[in-house]
Amino acid sequence: MDVPVLCAKTALACLLIVAGGAKLSDPASFASTVRLFIPLRVSWPLLSAIAVGVSLGELAVGLASLTLPAIMALNALVFAIACTFVAVSAIGYAFYRGRSCRCFGALSQRKFDAASVLRSVVIAGIAAVALAHVSAAARQLDTTAQVLLFAAAGLLAVVAFTAARARGAGSRPEVVTR
Amino acid sequence: MVLASSFVAVALILCMATVLALFGVTHVSMSGAEAIERDGLAPGMHAPVWSLVDSADRVVRSPPRTPLQLIMFTDHSLKAFPSVVDGLREVMAQERLEIVVLTRRRNELAEPVLRTIGLDGISVLTGSPSLYAAYNVRVTPFAIFVDSAGRVRASSLVNEAWQVTKLLQLADLPLEPENLAPRSRFWRRPAGAGV
Repeated sequence: MDVPVLCAKTALACLLIVAGGAKLSDPASFASTVRLFIPLRVSWPLLSAIAVGVSLGELAVGLASLTLPAIMALNALVFAIACTFVAVSAIGYAFYRGRSCRCFGALSQRKFDAASVLRSVVIAGIAAVALAHVSAAARQLDTTAQVLLFAAAGLLAVVAFTAARARGAGSRPEVVTR
Repeated sequence: MVLASSFVAVALILCMATVLALFGVTHVSMSGAEAIERDGLAPGMHAPVWSLVDSADRVVRSPPRTPLQLIMFTDHSLKAFPSVVDGLREVMAQERLEIVVLTRRRNELAEPVLRTIGLDGISVLTGSPSLYAAYNVRVTPFAIFVDSAGRVRASSLVNEAWQVTKLLQLADLPLEPENLAPRSRFWRRPAGAGV
């Protein structure tokens, strides 16, 4: 039982790291998605700050979940984030169908549609699997393993950031200067 | 302990597999035909508006006063692609066309070189990296035709003379209605651009 749970936990951590790293490469475009979900009139600097905060939050939770599996509370936090994904994709599907969700920055061109809701539900399901109990022996990592995992997670975040920046560089819709 | 080692192994493998997948996705998107089409600006789009002073203290503007302006992004590439120089020589006689050469760094030798190869009189301007980015130009020599209304008429990577003349022909074609994009609300002045 331990192996599928740990695999689910690892997969979700990688997903959060990639999503956070990719979003950080272009906070302005993710801020435009954030604006859709804030009913109040909010200034762009504040929206950008929220976008950066969300991206950093995803990145931090992913890094912590991967390198500190002994902290069970992180599994609940990841599950809560996955439930938020479901809510966001459902609201996006209901009110902003066809608009780009920018869930992975420029890495993906996914839009708010039925498939995005389904994907979010699957992610939440995997997060629910990761909530299952794992033996203490499987969760205890020594410092070397933690450092190794942190390095791998850091590399993943950097690659996601760089890849999203490279893909996004040539795909800006219209850049006009005055 | 075995399970913990398995967790580390699975996590590392998954991380590395994701890294490789990201490399693959980026490589495909940066090297295919789609990537080439993404460079430059599509016909009908609004080109960046700028004004820069060349080495002879002439003010060069875009959009131009002439019906058409050819902005040639070059850096060192004109020396490497002499046939592009031939293409420029073929089109520079046209009075309706203003040609400007844009380089990333100020190069005192650029104008003497242009004079030597028979392209004297062409303004050589130093464009900031953000101006290059605004035109979505990554590789040179790259040609962009802009009309007096500030619309992009044609743009492409060029390395042969005929491509320059063919682009000029394409620039003369009327714009299709679906390409006449409304002006963006988010205007930005590139750092280093002039007035």
